[in-house]
Amino acid sequence: MVKNFVYFLVFVLAVIAAAELIGIQTFSIGSMNISMLPLVFAIAIAMILALPFLRKGILKKIYSKKNVDFASKYLIFIMLPLMARYGSDVAPQIREILQVGWVFIIQEIGNLGTVLIGLPIAILIGLRREAIGATLGIGREGELAYISEKYTLESPEGRGVISLYVIGTLFGTMFFSIFAPILLDFGFRVEALAMASGVGSGSMMSAASATLVARVPEMESTILAYASASQLLTSFIGTFTMVFLAAPLQQFMYKFLVRGDKK
Amino acid sequence: MSPTMRRYVRYALVLLLSVALILFAQEIKLIKNPDSTPITSMTFVGLGILWLFSFIGVIIADLMKLVPIKVIRDFPILGWVSITSLSLCLVSDFFVEAIQAVDFLAITTPILTVAGISVANRLVDLRKTSWKVAIVAVFVFAGTYVCSALLAQLGLFLAGN
Repeated sequence: MVKNFVYFLVFVLAVIAAAELIGIQTFSIGSMNISMLPLVFAIAIAMILALPFLRKGILKKIYSKKNVDFASKYLIFIMLPLMARYGSDVAPQIREILQVGWVFIIQEIGNLGTVLIGLPIAILIGLRREAIGATLGIGREGELAYISEKYTLESPEGRGVISLYVIGTLFGTMFFSIFAPILLDFGFRVEALAMASGVGSGSMMSAASATLVARVPEMESTILAYASASQLLTSFIGTFTMVFLAAPLQQFMYKFLVRGDKK
Repeated sequence: MSPTMRRYVRYALVLLLSVALILFAQEIKLIKNPDSTPITSMTFVGLGILWLFSFIGVIIADLMKLVPIKVIRDFPILGWVSITSLSLCLVSDFFVEAIQAVDFLAITTPILTVAGISVANRLVDLRKTSWKVAIVAVFVFAGTYVCSALLAQLGLFLAGN
């Protein structure tokens, strides 16, 4: 058991070292600049080496059931110092944040974008009840709990939310770290993008705000303060937005969009 | 030791591992780029404070489980830690100064490393998810982000800020 853990520890250190030595890589596609942070390399390396056909010899010991279980059970605790760091980013700017407090609340409604944009696309490519689960929100624990309570996880709705959960867990952070700075090139203000980063998942928020910081380092304190304040707000009122706004809107749009279907 | 006590000791040790990994990441970052956040005695104080605030947050989250209001009971532990840290940072600038001596990006790398390992056994689940949901996922994630950003942009404009 102890030996197992040593493998885990050495591997974690090696991945961190590799990711940090690769550093921040920026490349441009057309007029867009895409920055990849060490955090993207870290998760990519750890996931690629976990592919089943590579798990032989030492990798098999590293990705032993005990170690993987340890990582998923305690991931949340590993994340806590980051959450504590956000307190120190928000505190010096609390006055400014409260001054534009209503903007923070308004942009929470933007979380309905999952339904507004996701649902029509889902219906268009042929999903039906799965779409309910897959577009209610970004498929984190909140939506998982709501869908499983209302439809059970074995239902098509349940399959939809679980699929989104899996995809979000695997690729969510990478997606946001690449997507956030692209919007910067579209002319969005970095403050607005920072606020929008509070999507309701701590790691996705961190990925989005971290790449923004890499692109606009002189705004680091504002970006981190806005992103974490918005994240905190989402964790408070996110459930209400989902139950009272997203779910009814989704039902309404769903009926409208599938009205052509045969009964 | 009582089971509760043992549980807290385990949490304390995992948090210690977390801040140690941050220090390691910051050290490697310095090797790669000598201009990044230096490691000073303040960094160690900052890491200690991050550890302490996290631990306090864990305890608060546990205590809040006893509150009969569902929203408070279900409030994530991550949120309690942020609130704890925010409140204490408002009390004293010293906390802010110490924590800021810890490099932000160095905090994120270890987390994503562990996150990558934690999903190792879920890679096979991908086969069970349909490619259609994968396409939808792109629009779902982009949708929430773009809509929030648009409203924020509009709000900041109206606020004349």
